Amino acid sequence: MTIAMIAVMIGVPWLGALIVWLVGDSREKLQHWLAVIFSVVAGAASIVLIPSATSETVVKIPMGGTFGDFTFVPDGLGVFLSVIATVIGCLAVIFSTSYMKGEASLGRYYAFVLFFIGAMVGLVLTSNLLLIFFFWEITAICSYALIAFHNDDPKAVRGGIKALIITSVGGVGLLAGALVIFAYTGSYDINAFIGAAGTIPANILSLLAFGFLIAAAAKSAQFPFQTWLPDAMEAPSPISALIHAATMVNAGVYLLARTFPAFQNVPYWREAVMVVGSLSAILAAVMALTANDLKRVLAYSTVSQLGYMVYAIGAGSVFASQFHLFSHSIFKALLFLGAGAVIHSIGTRDMMEMGGVGKKLPLVKWVFIIGSLALAGLPVLNGFWSKELILEAGFKGGPTWLYVLMVIVAGLTALYTARCVWLVFFGEPRTDYHAHPVGLSMKVVLIPLALAALVSWTAVGPFSELLGSHTLPYHNIERTSLAEIFHEILTLPTLITLIVIALGILLWFMRSRLEGLINGLRSIRWASEKSFGFEALNTAFVEVTENIAEALRGTQTGILNWNVLAIAASLIVLFVVVVVGG
Amino acid sequence: MNLPLPLIILITIFCLAGTGLYCLLITRNLIKVVIALQLMVKGAVLAFILAGNLNGQMNTAQTLALTVIVADTIVAVVGLALAVQIRLRTGSLDIKSLSSLKR
Amino acid sequence: MNATLLFQSLIILPFMAAVIIYLVGRISLRQEKDWGFSVARAIAVFALLVEGCLLYFAVKEALQSGGIYLEVGEISLMLDGIGLLLIAVVLFLGLMVTLFSVDYMAGEKGEEKFYALLLSTIGSIIGLGLSFDLFNLWIWFEAMAVSTFLLVAFYNDQPPSLEAGIKYLVQSAVGSALVLFGIALIFSQAGSTSFAVIWQAASLNSSLMLIGGILLIVGFGVKTALVPLHTWLPDAHSQAPSGISAMLSGVVIEAGMIAMLRSLSFMGRVQFNWGAVLLAFGCLNILVGNLLALRQTEVKRLLAYSSLAHVGYMLVGFGIGFWYGQANGAGGGFFHLMTHSLMKGLAFLAAGALLYALHLKNDEHVPLTLSDLNGASRKYPLVAFALSVALLALGGLPPLAGFMSKWQILLAGASARNTLMIIVIIFVGLNSVLSLGYYAPIINRLYRRETSSAVEKGKPIPVMMVVPLLVLVLALVVIGLWPASMEFFTSRATASLLYPFFY
Repeated sequence: MTIAMIAVMIGVPWLGALIVWLVGDSREKLQHWLAVIFSVVAGAASIVLIPSATSETVVKIPMGGTFGDFTFVPDGLGVFLSVIATVIGCLAVIFSTSYMKGEASLGRYYAFVLFFIGAMVGLVLTSNLLLIFFFWEITAICSYALIAFHNDDPKAVRGGIKALIITSVGGVGLLAGALVIFAYTGSYDINAFIGAAGTIPANILSLLAFGFLIAAAAKSAQFPFQTWLPDAMEAPSPISALIHAATMVNAGVYLLARTFPAFQNVPYWREAVMVVGSLSAILAAVMALTANDLKRVLAYSTVSQLGYMVYAIGAGSVFASQFHLFSHSIFKALLFLGAGAVIHSIGTRDMMEMGGVGKKLPLVKWVFIIGSLALAGLPVLNGFWSKELILEAGFKGGPTWLYVLMVIVAGLTALYTARCVWLVFFGEPRTDYHAHPVGLSMKVVLIPLALAALVSWTAVGPFSELLGSHTLPYHNIERTSLAEIFHEILTLPTLITLIVIALGILLWFMRSRLEGLINGLRSIRWASEKSFGFEALNTAFVEVTENIAEALRGTQTGILNWNVLAIAASLIVLFVVVVVGG
Repeated sequence: MNLPLPLIILITIFCLAGTGLYCLLITRNLIKVVIALQLMVKGAVLAFILAGNLNGQMNTAQTLALTVIVADTIVAVVGLALAVQIRLRTGSLDIKSLSSLKR
Repeated sequence: MNATLLFQSLIILPFMAAVIIYLVGRISLRQEKDWGFSVARAIAVFALLVEGCLLYFAVKEALQSGGIYLEVGEISLMLDGIGLLLIAVVLFLGLMVTLFSVDYMAGEKGEEKFYALLLSTIGSIIGLGLSFDLFNLWIWFEAMAVSTFLLVAFYNDQPPSLEAGIKYLVQSAVGSALVLFGIALIFSQAGSTSFAVIWQAASLNSSLMLIGGILLIVGFGVKTALVPLHTWLPDAHSQAPSGISAMLSGVVIEAGMIAMLRSLSFMGRVQFNWGAVLLAFGCLNILVGNLLALRQTEVKRLLAYSSLAHVGYMLVGFGIGFWYGQANGAGGGFFHLMTHSLMKGLAFLAAGALLYALHLKNDEHVPLTLSDLNGASRKYPLVAFALSVALLALGGLPPLAGFMSKWQILLAGASARNTLMIIVIIFVGLNSVLSLGYYAPIINRLYRRETSSAVEKGKPIPVMMVVPLLVLVLALVVIGLWPASMEFFTSRATASLLYPFFY
């Protein structure tokens, strides 16, 4: 039965991708319906799979020595992430039926979305490193294709290619790691690797640890690879919600979580992970504060929250990071879809042109506020519980100054969230916009997500059991009940954090009185708008490569004499090499 | 000079191949290019004969040499045919005028 | 069927067919009718299919009796793993190209000569794969070269084609001359040009063989497009008719590489690190090929430069195989040879179909540029899809075949457990990402809504041109999902290559 569910979760979306593409763009309604049906089936299958989570290999397809056995293991971590991928996937698809109504090339759109969902499930359920990389790259293709969906828009195309290249560059870390693991352990099985990590020479293990960290950082848009995610916001909003908030960007965090037991003792690795996470958190939080594009704010916010998850892993608590991943997927998807509803209705992404949208779109306003409160980490909402768990873990497992930094970031989060909500939904309209009514399928999706943001934290008990030793043998995650969570969180550090968060929100409302301070921080604002130099770095890279390529073109002179000279010269060089080499 | 025969042949080979290569690097006329190629290959043919002499397999060497001459004549014919076409279509046999495909 | 007879017919059939096609063509021209062309096409396809059957029977025979070996006088022929792989690739790709060219070359001047030359190219490559004698190898190599000279310069009323043809001829001839010098040196030391004898005669201090080997590398390397011996390649591959571009990039340069590898594999005892040389050339090819392709504006020239990079991947694989004895290195190299022929073949055929529809059918002999591709998917969805699949496969993205073959090569590097090899892996991986920088924008152009003026004036693409494209797409996807499917060929080829080298 487990095998059937796994086959459905990967196979049905992939089959659906093919079918929706073949149906053709002339039958739009059919395409919408088919996409919804396929994604819902996958979602249902993933929920059905939850009770059957196990650490045994349930599928094994032998492929010969070089390519290993294609194995699938539905352990707790994998099942949890596949539920998120498929359920939020089907919500995004349902949202798309309204958002993408009337768009051209819908077949291509839905095909890549469904292809992505299947690939994401495959990524988290497989235990073969070759397949992890295989699905990793497939998600990269789908992300690229969907960001650049509007091929005529050069910004979208640039954003798509940038995302593809940056995540693939990081992917080389995973590629090299997977190959080296095979070379040293004789198998691609990641669980076998974790078990045998002690037998690998220390310098090789370090290479693997940092290689995987680079791959994870690139995929999850962490420092120093964070520049692709804001530009990826050219994608349609359901895609931003699904791929760039709830699923693909979590793949990096997933990789770190899974391999944590193997690498936790590598010198400086945990410190590096924590630094990467916290740097991303603070840089992105500042950049969110100065951005004017609604989706860019949310993108930076995603980078920042992912920074929290990475930080938690570095501090030693995989459970806290995954719990926050759970909360974040829900409230960030909610925020992006809400933003999508606003953008679709108003027609612009610039917050400076909005204002007072809450009067025209009350439902969207309320669900967006719920999402924002969860993001800011206010009590009762799921974001509060998971963020506090992370801060607890950071306090216990990492240096204090980093903990203080993360608390400050929590305050900044509250500040930029308040700014965002206020600029969009409250006050008076700053431009003369016309608000189209929000489609039914959009509302149908937003409400369950908002409810989930309110209550998902209560599932912490079953959640911890899902990730427990029964399914993840190397991770030592114990069952934590609700009462234990209360006990752990309702303490003094939490109170301090809450005060900082309240301060953040308060700062926004007092901004008129803080003119002086804001002016003083002008230089930081300027640096933040220039993304602290990272964009400049990217552009420099690209330009240098292109200039070298252009210069190299000169070697193709087109004159025969030069061509023959090249042949003669290589012969002479080789002879010299032979003579010198002895 | 009373040099041994193999050494004379070796020097001839180097002269032929060297001249051929040098012409290929210097010349601007297509016909001269084909001739230079022929020079190089004849050097190779001599090399075969020399090799046959040195290792005693003269029969094999002769067969090889003859075959090479035949094969290379075909290449020369094709080359000259192309040169004729180029002269017809572009009116010139100069290599410099044959550099429209570059970069 | 008798093994010897099978062997002989395997070699003779394509040439007989070529001669018949040429005669048929002349006769029908004499009669001033054009039944000759359709007969020519039919004969070509038929000959290839029969050749495929002959190969099947020969392989069955070889598997039963442990290999076929034939000696005709001084010439030795052998059907082993390498030959099998090369023949399979050339027949499959040749069949796809012939089917494609049925419509592409319809109505061209001298059409029947095209098929005759194509068949003789295929025949020479088959001969090259079967030869077990260094001089015989050179003869088939020359035959292949001469056939391709004429094919590259096929449009002999267009000066650019002639220019590409003459440059290709001159450089190839220089390479051949160098090979001859190499053969002469090896012959002088070994006493025969048969590989079996060379293998025996190779020993630690055969310095003449060493120099001969170097000459062979450079000589065959011109044909294999090693950097900096590659300068003929962009011109030849972009000016040839598109089916021939596919053959050139897909099989002809690989045949040169196989000739080089075959020769080197029997000189393993000579004291020299052949693997390192191949590896160095490979890395150079990958880097230069990718950089040069990055700024191209013509589609076929871009694909030609990318062939440089892919030859580089193969050489890296073979270099690791020779240097560290990693079977996955050679296996990956051969696997990449097969997948590259499919991917690059598909790319050139798809680009060729677009060139046909957008320019040739409108009687314009201009190259296909990147901006011509804007919005092509709206008018030619299947061809655009095929081209996108080919480009993604060339970029090494799953679930397509290119990913699996690159994986195998890189695996060999990791298995060598050597810091330098790990650096090579990272270098190759990063270059693969760099190549996406020029493949991905093409796909984006194809799927724009706004069409280019060329696309608006474009004519429809005949069905017979699209069928080979879809077959190749299917092959790429199947191999991408089931990489072990090609092990039948690659493992045997690896054994044939590495066994003589290490024993």
